[in-house]
Amino acid sequence: MVIETTIILRLTAAFTTMYLVALGHSIFEKSGILNLAIDGVFFLSTGVTTAVVVPLTWLLTARGLSLVLSTTLAALTAGLATAIIGIFMAWTLTKLPISHGAVGLSLMFLGYGLGIIAGYEVRLRVGSIRPYTYPDSLGIYLAILAITVLIGLLAYFFIFKTALGTAIRACGENPHVALALGASVLKTRLIAGLLGFFIMGVGASFFVLLWQKYWDIKTYLLGYGWLAFTIALAAGRHPIVLIPLAFMFGGLVEFSITLQAKLGLQADLAKMLPFIAALILMIIYGSTKLRRIFEPPGSLGKVFYKEERTI
Amino acid sequence: MRFIVLRRKTIPRYHTWISTAISLILGILVYLFITILVGRSPLEVLVNIARSFISPSIVKDFFVLIAMGCALLISFKAALWNIGGEGQFYIATIPGILLTLFIFNPRYNPAPAPLVILLVALTGTIMGAFWAFIAALFRAYLKIDEVPVTLILNYVAYYILNYLIFGPFKGRYVYGYLRTDEIPEIYRLNVRVHLPMRGDPLQVALQNLTVQLAYYIALLILAVLIYVFTWWFFKHCRIGLYTKIHGSNPGYLQAVGVSVNHVILLTMTISGALIGLTGSIYLLSELGRIPYEIERQTAGYGYLAILVSWLSLLDLKMIPFSAYIVSALRNAGIALQVAGLGGVEQSLLLIGAILLTYSITRFLVEYEVRFEW
Amino acid sequence: MSSKVLSTSANISSADSVENVILSARNISKSFPGPVIALDRVSLDLYAGEILALLGENGSGKSTFVKILYGIYTPDHGEILMKTGRVLERVTINSPADAMSKGILMVSQVPQLISKLTVAENMALTLTSLRIHGVKGLTSIKKILKIIGEESEKIGIKIDPNEKVYNLTYTQKQLVEILRAMFVNAKILLLDEALTYLPLLERRKLYQALLKLKGQGGSIVIITHKISEAMEISNRIAVLRAGKIVGVVNTWETTIDQVRVMMFGEERSKQISYVKVQTINPRGEPRIIIRNLHVEDDYGREIVRGVNLTIHAGEVVGIAGISGNGQRELLESIVGLRKIKSGDIYVDNVNVKRSGVRNIRELGVSFIPDRLLEHGISPEESIVENIAACTVRNGINIPWGLIEEISRELINSYQIIAPSTKTPVKYLSGGNILKTIVAREIENAKKALIACNPTRTLDEASAIYVRRRIREKAVNENLAVLIASEDLDEVLMVSDIIYIMNTGRLYGPLTPETPREDIEKLMVM
Repeated sequence: MVIETTIILRLTAAFTTMYLVALGHSIFEKSGILNLAIDGVFFLSTGVTTAVVVPLTWLLTARGLSLVLSTTLAALTAGLATAIIGIFMAWTLTKLPISHGAVGLSLMFLGYGLGIIAGYEVRLRVGSIRPYTYPDSLGIYLAILAITVLIGLLAYFFIFKTALGTAIRACGENPHVALALGASVLKTRLIAGLLGFFIMGVGASFFVLLWQKYWDIKTYLLGYGWLAFTIALAAGRHPIVLIPLAFMFGGLVEFSITLQAKLGLQADLAKMLPFIAALILMIIYGSTKLRRIFEPPGSLGKVFYKEERTI
Repeated sequence: MRFIVLRRKTIPRYHTWISTAISLILGILVYLFITILVGRSPLEVLVNIARSFISPSIVKDFFVLIAMGCALLISFKAALWNIGGEGQFYIATIPGILLTLFIFNPRYNPAPAPLVILLVALTGTIMGAFWAFIAALFRAYLKIDEVPVTLILNYVAYYILNYLIFGPFKGRYVYGYLRTDEIPEIYRLNVRVHLPMRGDPLQVALQNLTVQLAYYIALLILAVLIYVFTWWFFKHCRIGLYTKIHGSNPGYLQAVGVSVNHVILLTMTISGALIGLTGSIYLLSELGRIPYEIERQTAGYGYLAILVSWLSLLDLKMIPFSAYIVSALRNAGIALQVAGLGGVEQSLLLIGAILLTYSITRFLVEYEVRFEW
Repeated sequence: MSSKVLSTSANISSADSVENVILSARNISKSFPGPVIALDRVSLDLYAGEILALLGENGSGKSTFVKILYGIYTPDHGEILMKTGRVLERVTINSPADAMSKGILMVSQVPQLISKLTVAENMALTLTSLRIHGVKGLTSIKKILKIIGEESEKIGIKIDPNEKVYNLTYTQKQLVEILRAMFVNAKILLLDEALTYLPLLERRKLYQALLKLKGQGGSIVIITHKISEAMEISNRIAVLRAGKIVGVVNTWETTIDQVRVMMFGEERSKQISYVKVQTINPRGEPRIIIRNLHVEDDYGREIVRGVNLTIHAGEVVGIAGISGNGQRELLESIVGLRKIKSGDIYVDNVNVKRSGVRNIRELGVSFIPDRLLEHGISPEESIVENIAACTVRNGINIPWGLIEEISRELINSYQIIAPSTKTPVKYLSGGNILKTIVAREIENAKKALIACNPTRTLDEASAIYVRRRIREKAVNENLAVLIASEDLDEVLMVSDIIYIMNTGRLYGPLTPETPREDIEKLMVM
């Protein structure tokens, strides 16, 4: 049945996008850096994706190569571009005693602006992005889903079962002690930035290539990055716990759009739903034992300055 | 080669001014750099920016940003990052629309204008306070960071407004665009002055300025009132001291027996209240109506005010100065859009670039850098 | 008697000639904002196979020096040379990882471990950075657990590497540090007051381990402020005073008094004799009564286990004990800064178990906190503003005129050095910040004063003034005073009655005339 397939495809896409963005963000924040740039980075990646996928597709399909290849390459490119921001953030916020929040917010604005610049021309020229996105094939979507979950499992293993992942967690709990124990806080956070933001970038690119199949300058007003932020917060930035939450919120956004179409729920009320849900999730998280279990890293957002003299 | 960051032993004088100046210049340079990368002419951009600094059209933004800059200063000084200025601003316009267009619409239910205007200001203040209060509750009792909460509340506010404009507030006398009706003239706060606009450029500019000042007289008064209030708040008010201490060391508040949660609630609520007040006065002075999909048409004062507050290094004396700069830059952004040099991204890039350079170079006030080979 | 044996064996110093220098610090200077000069052109040589004691008062710069050697601080001037092969070469130590790769390891008084992680996870950081046993970034924790398990078996340290650090006792945590030292194969061990708070038995064991290391050619720098400890174990003693090296002597050639003179200077060492203001009134009425108090620490463990205590008006009760036994939590719960699990507290017959800090303060109780920067002061605000926050409780406006007066008085009597009353407190030196807090709380105290380590970073003269003032207020104004201090000497000097706090329980009451060994035994049993 076509309707059922569409639902599965869209839900898969919604989950993949939200999960990867939340996952990358979690890996990064586990190293102790607060990431308020998430929404700007999300949009930047979508813009870069749009800018890159069209020429790539022309290039590759002209040589008889598949659409899947060009779209995937575009996603990876967007991931790399995003990773640059991650490395920048990790470096400046570890080397210099400056405010995580301030840098994050400024990168959010820059992300919006740069994303617009990146995607604008292509969008103007091409109109609809749809032809340049992943084909609506159940096989492809499920494959991507499987890979996503695999990445999640690998991330879990990496963060909790390897020495480097432990270093990341240590820097997030107390970078000064981590330093005294011999870890290089800078190197560790750079890796977390590279890895985390790359995954975020790929996830956000799936927003265009897998999910909405649409891009427009005003996409920066959607605020989905903050939904991913909330998911990561409530899940304690845990790769496995993120899965059901990402599924729920991806589904919520997807269903709000469907509700709007089918039930005639006014568009703005439908758009509000995920955000209200986010607030409710925060209330549940903040007022129950969940907060103790899913605590944020002890030094999240704290300025790292190693020459501090203590009384 | 490595560089080491060390705390300065003594703070250089005039650090506030120097730091702001450096971050401004660097920010504009970053912005120009991006401009060049994209292929636009940096010279034209610079000319536009320079021109905006002396353009009379920045008057309105100047006063709004002083008012909102002070409002945000109050919460920022407590280390409470009220990023919800946009939401608090617009949610405050709801009672204003309700009162002027529906309850006391002069067509069916006239009422003395001063009364209505006062009610609009009052209800707007309460709404703004309420919107910030919600975020404060999250922060105080749920210990959830106020940044994502205030941001999410921005989106919720936009959507509530949109829903109302689409529905009950829909304009009956509007053709083409989807928006509310215009607010009746008697409720508007503008003073219209007609000047001949003749003479040499300087005279014309001055006349222009006078017209602007008169037109936005309500915003001027608002800016002054809020500025004085903020001054009193930090200098003499006991709660103002608690606010500052919360920004410095909330543990100390605890130790002297002051409820940290009460301070959080009060501070953010006052901040939201002032923004709400600004929103309602702005509605009656400039907006006049609310268009559908408000998030696409907002001037973004809620975000610009963040820049104003930060750029002032959280120093009240510097607020007018940074408000001036940000208004000029914003108008430069608009001028660039108009001149075909770009769209909304210009403002976003400008804000982002300056905020970034500012956040990064700020540490040079208290720290120095040493290079070792 | 055993100490003499140790000294003589430690006396077998290998030829202390230039060839034996393995580390040389030259003209090291370091200052902090204030400006506070922590180190002033300090030069010190470390020989192979020796134990060097670095002595000095609180704030003399010992910790700063050692942190520079370990790569945590960067010196403003000066250089460090280390022996490679046969020559001394200039080295830069940029980080602890750097230091460890050069064979330097530091163990602090506060174990540098991340509580939420397990022992193995903490060690993983060290192992990875030094590629010990081939451990790399992607090595699994499982493998690391095995490596640690095997090594700790060899050394005989019985700690489960899979245990979360917050479940370990203080001693166990220090043992983990020692385990780390073994892994790192340290040639130079820097012990920053690391042994001072260990129970005697453990400390003796560690001394043996240190001697073994020394025998293998390793060197140890022990920082301590206790002359007796230095005399017991070291070959040489270097004394720092106000950031300068005052003297370096061979231990067997000197005496405790000579060292004390070096530490305090001729004048001050005479001043140290302290005359206690005697209690003239008979015991006043019970002002603070604590019954069967149980309090939890930040990790949910019960750290105060059934404390019963009565403090009468006009008397000073002192609690001695190694830090970490519940003193801080006990005092915090009395003033309302910490929730009480069970039990009761009465102030002037009012049950304050559920009262907030505000109410307790309004009952006339003042508090000198242990964590100054957390609970004592607001760094960005000025002295005047800090005092205003504490004294003004009602009204909308702050009466600045009155507050300025009060501030000036405090500054004068306690000799607080500050550029002006409007300077942000963070620009004052540590000692002056403490003085501000202490002055404010002591002078404000109306019914009771609860103090935790009230003179920890003060110079001797100020410390004496503070102790005298406390006793004066107790005696003259009928104040009930409770002082918890890590410094046994201080407790003995200032109290009428002494208790010892050990693992959450109070032992006592004892008089200050009780033999010192008995008190110390209670502290370490």
